[in-house]
Amino acid sequence: MNSKYFRITLLVFSIILLCVLVNEGYALAAEPYHLGVDLAITGTGALYCKDGVDAIKLAVEEINAQGGFLGKHPIKLFIRDTHTKPDVAVREAKDLILRDKVRCILGTYSSACAVAIKPVAQEYKVLHIAAISNSENITKINFSPYTYQVVPNSYMQAKAVVLGVAELAKKKGWQEYVTIASDYEWGRSTQQSTVSLLNQVAPDLKLKKEFWPRLGETQFTSYITAIMGQKPDFVIGSLASKDNVAWMQQAKAYGFFDKIPYPGSLISVSELIVQAKTLSRGLVGLCRAPFFAHMDVPMMANLVKNFREKYERYPSDWAVMEYDAVYALKQGIEKAGSIDTEKVKDALKGMTIETTRGKLFFRNIDNQLSCSSYLGVVADDPNYPFPIYHDLIEIKGPDSWRPEAEIVDARSK
Amino acid sequence: MDASLLIAQFMSGLSRGMMLFLLASGLSLIFGVMNILNFAHASLWLVGAYLCYSFWYLLQDYAFGMWVSIALAALALAVIGWIVEVILIRRVYERDLPEQLLLTYAMVLIIGDLIKVVWGVEDKLIARPPLVEGPVFVFGMPFDSYFIFVILVGFGVAIGLWWFLQKTRYGHIVRAAVYSREMVSALGIPIPRIYTGVFVLGLFIAGLAGAVQAPVGSITLGMDMAIIIQAFCVVVIGGFGSLLGTLVGSIIVGEVYAFSILFWPQGALVLIFIVTAVVLIIRPWGLFGTPMRA
Repeated sequence: MNSKYFRITLLVFSIILLCVLVNEGYALAAEPYHLGVDLAITGTGALYCKDGVDAIKLAVEEINAQGGFLGKHPIKLFIRDTHTKPDVAVREAKDLILRDKVRCILGTYSSACAVAIKPVAQEYKVLHIAAISNSENITKINFSPYTYQVVPNSYMQAKAVVLGVAELAKKKGWQEYVTIASDYEWGRSTQQSTVSLLNQVAPDLKLKKEFWPRLGETQFTSYITAIMGQKPDFVIGSLASKDNVAWMQQAKAYGFFDKIPYPGSLISVSELIVQAKTLSRGLVGLCRAPFFAHMDVPMMANLVKNFREKYERYPSDWAVMEYDAVYALKQGIEKAGSIDTEKVKDALKGMTIETTRGKLFFRNIDNQLSCSSYLGVVADDPNYPFPIYHDLIEIKGPDSWRPEAEIVDARSK
Repeated sequence: MDASLLIAQFMSGLSRGMMLFLLASGLSLIFGVMNILNFAHASLWLVGAYLCYSFWYLLQDYAFGMWVSIALAALALAVIGWIVEVILIRRVYERDLPEQLLLTYAMVLIIGDLIKVVWGVEDKLIARPPLVEGPVFVFGMPFDSYFIFVILVGFGVAIGLWWFLQKTRYGHIVRAAVYSREMVSALGIPIPRIYTGVFVLGLFIAGLAGAVQAPVGSITLGMDMAIIIQAFCVVVIGGFGSLLGTLVGSIIVGEVYAFSILFWPQGALVLIFIVTAVVLIIRPWGLFGTPMRA
């Protein structure tokens, strides 16, 4: 009798356990991965972020076509507009975390927004991948283990410019320069890094004056005439997106680039496309992830093909980096074998990942990806309906990023 | 310091001032006559810029494409202005200022979303014709030739408005309506029609301003919010409702900005607000406004 009851009880419990497990297993298989996007869809950063969002959607489609992360977690996207304002970015990030329950936030256009949402992501233990904004302060100081950066940071870009400019200055006998940079987090940090590095690499070069147009400036005429009046040997610019387009347009109309060398300013693939007809050929520009530099990497060739099929245009630097951000997350999840944020965060630490820009790794001390910066000469190319860079120089991440000792020092202050 | 540099800086300040004048004159006119503080004025200005882009896109193969697009955009915005006045604005003439602001601010949000729907979020760029593509030289210093056109348009609008308000019968009625709507109405002149006409004229100038701005850089969402504050500074300095005040205020703001960039680059915007604050404290009705308006 006891034995019979025991067997029935065992059977019932087994059935219940089986049901629970099956249900749990089903739930796990169906659990979507909530992925947040906090980008400047409107406003100053819209030029770059539209491409970024489109690339994220493309990557998500590709991954979901294979069942999602780990083949069983379909990605559900939640896209928010920061309006390039830190307070809005924080509000949207919190909403993404608390209401939409995202496990990771991809962003942002403005470095000020990235710096603002970093502590939010850390507080709520949510991953944060910066793919466009690139102030080095995002990962250098107030370090958060939840924040990763897949874009060459402002120091790396500044170092790349400095190496190129120092070489040119030596060759051409330049002595004095002025800077023009957008008056916000990224503009300030990039300008400061550039000036500081130039002081180290070429101490004879003298900074004559600094100009700080506000973010969103539409008319640069007064800056242009003021800079020309200074008669510098060259000018270094740290302007981006719409501001950069307006600056380039107006400076060209003044014959600025014919009179004053302007080496190493940010001319991304977006500017190459948007200003295809008007951009001065022969300019020495800087960019972060030009697709044409890595068409030999299958992942890049695939992105360009699919992006063109879907959106009928070429992917910009911003598209490339946001696409890489999604695939970095995918590889982190695969290494962790789980979508659990803590495990993914730990898995990404120091991890080597496949990207459209080749095999790259996250540096342990600051979670900065070892991605390159690119300098080149703007020139027409028969293969593209817009100018691209010729004589392209790739400055590798490990050759341009800030020494670890300096980061340790900065954090201790 | 080189005199030619000062002249170049003055010219760039003047061009900036003229851009502001084109925007602020419509704002000031509408407030002066109708007592409506149109917070959406800059958003409608932005629509003018986008309209200019659309017309230019259709006409870009023609040498005159950009010039015609500027005129068409101004006319199109005037038509939009007429519709907006009839459907929305005339319903708040008798309401308090907060309600007017609420309506016009709602319009800012609606227009922003409509722009996204119609033109998308990508930046738009108008390629200038060769005539205004390069520099002209003023006392040896280069100056963007397009801004010569901007300055001419600015002064042209100022003279045109002055002539209209001072020398035409309709202008006299408009000026009279500023001081006494009741008296004008008692003379059998339909005030609503005057208001509609003034609003349409204000938006025509806003459309012209937006279209003139369009080929300067890229056209993008958010430009309106960046410029509206400076436009308000202009009308506060010059005096709401005063054409001469708006012109002088625009030139002051443009020149203060230009010369502070030369001498104190970090403080360019701050100086504008300091000037505005000083005027507000000393003469709250602006340099050329009247105490009645204050």
